[in-house]
Amino acid sequence: MTDTTIPRGNALPRIRPWLGIAAAASFVVASVMALFWAPTDAVQGDVYRILYVHVPLAWLAYLAFVVVFLASVGWLWTKRPFFDAVAVASAEIGVLFTGLFLVAGSIWAKPTWGVWWTWEPRLVTTAIMFVMYVGYLLLRGLSTDFSRRATRSAVFGIIAVIDVPIVHLSVLWANSLHQLPTVLRAGGSPALDSSMLLTLMVSLGAYTLIYAYFMTARVSLEIARQVRLWTT
Amino acid sequence: MLEKIGARRVLLIAALGVAVLVGTVAATNLQSQAVYYLTPSEAKAQGVAVGQTVRLGGLVKTGSMSSADLRGANDFRFVITDGSVDVQVIATGAIPGLLREDAGAVVEGAFVADGTFHATQVIAKHDEVYTAPKAGATPAHRTAP
Repeated sequence: MTDTTIPRGNALPRIRPWLGIAAAASFVVASVMALFWAPTDAVQGDVYRILYVHVPLAWLAYLAFVVVFLASVGWLWTKRPFFDAVAVASAEIGVLFTGLFLVAGSIWAKPTWGVWWTWEPRLVTTAIMFVMYVGYLLLRGLSTDFSRRATRSAVFGIIAVIDVPIVHLSVLWANSLHQLPTVLRAGGSPALDSSMLLTLMVSLGAYTLIYAYFMTARVSLEIARQVRLWTT
Repeated sequence: MLEKIGARRVLLIAALGVAVLVGTVAATNLQSQAVYYLTPSEAKAQGVAVGQTVRLGGLVKTGSMSSADLRGANDFRFVITDGSVDVQVIATGAIPGLLREDAGAVVEGAFVADGTFHATQVIAKHDEVYTAPKAGATPAHRTAP
């Protein structure tokens, strides 16, 4: 990619390598902490360590879809193509992270619950979230008109975000198998040892940097595509 | 141009309205109708028929669980309780390593005529609390059998 394809004043290409280095380094630190430094769990033993992958991926998937929502509002309000680029980038990464945290959750469920999958509220609402945002990405392929596509997907991106709080709160609303929130506990401090909480927070930081790195790469690509669309 | 932006903002407000509406409907329905399992009291109150496949959820009553060597022997017994109603469960198939007394469990299966519950699937529930084992203690669940 040459500089001419990027609108002037775009800082993304310059910070991207640094973000990549920071993401890789913090991922290594987080993995070492999760595998070796954090203590084992009194009930589950070492299998609980998948929490340090499952939970940050889930939170980042939530964040990614909230960003899709904000960018969708931004496009409808201002009609700036930049917002559409942010929306598609965040939706793709959100689908990737949702898929990964579903797989990680399944791998965690088999040795603890005893099943890979069961139709309980948290799992069902998460599966709906995954399918909805796959649908969002498919919707984007249905039109070649840039403005129309951006508007349609923005409406979808605004409505679909409603499943994010439903996924989070589903464990509180209904009889569920999935455990309640550990960190964001209603009326209490996080229910895990301080060294576990620190490891989780470092993991969360690492995955946030990975998300940011993917975003800069994907948004730059989308902007380059938009520029090509306008100039041809 | 201005007209187009105006139409878009109307669309934005409409979309936000639909989102709130869908969310409210989904949330209220989830709260009132989503039943993943019945507690023993609910199963008793609803009069669940013999042979009808249901999920029961509750605590494994202390002192009610068969010894560990019966796991997977198709005659693994324990009592599921919610504090007021007890149900004797006879489980076939794999028993999760995390199934413990005084901890949560969900069983899938059906009542038989004598009032016991024949479970074809046992799911262990664990809570949201994570803590290091006390010095000298072994985790209840070890990954390697």
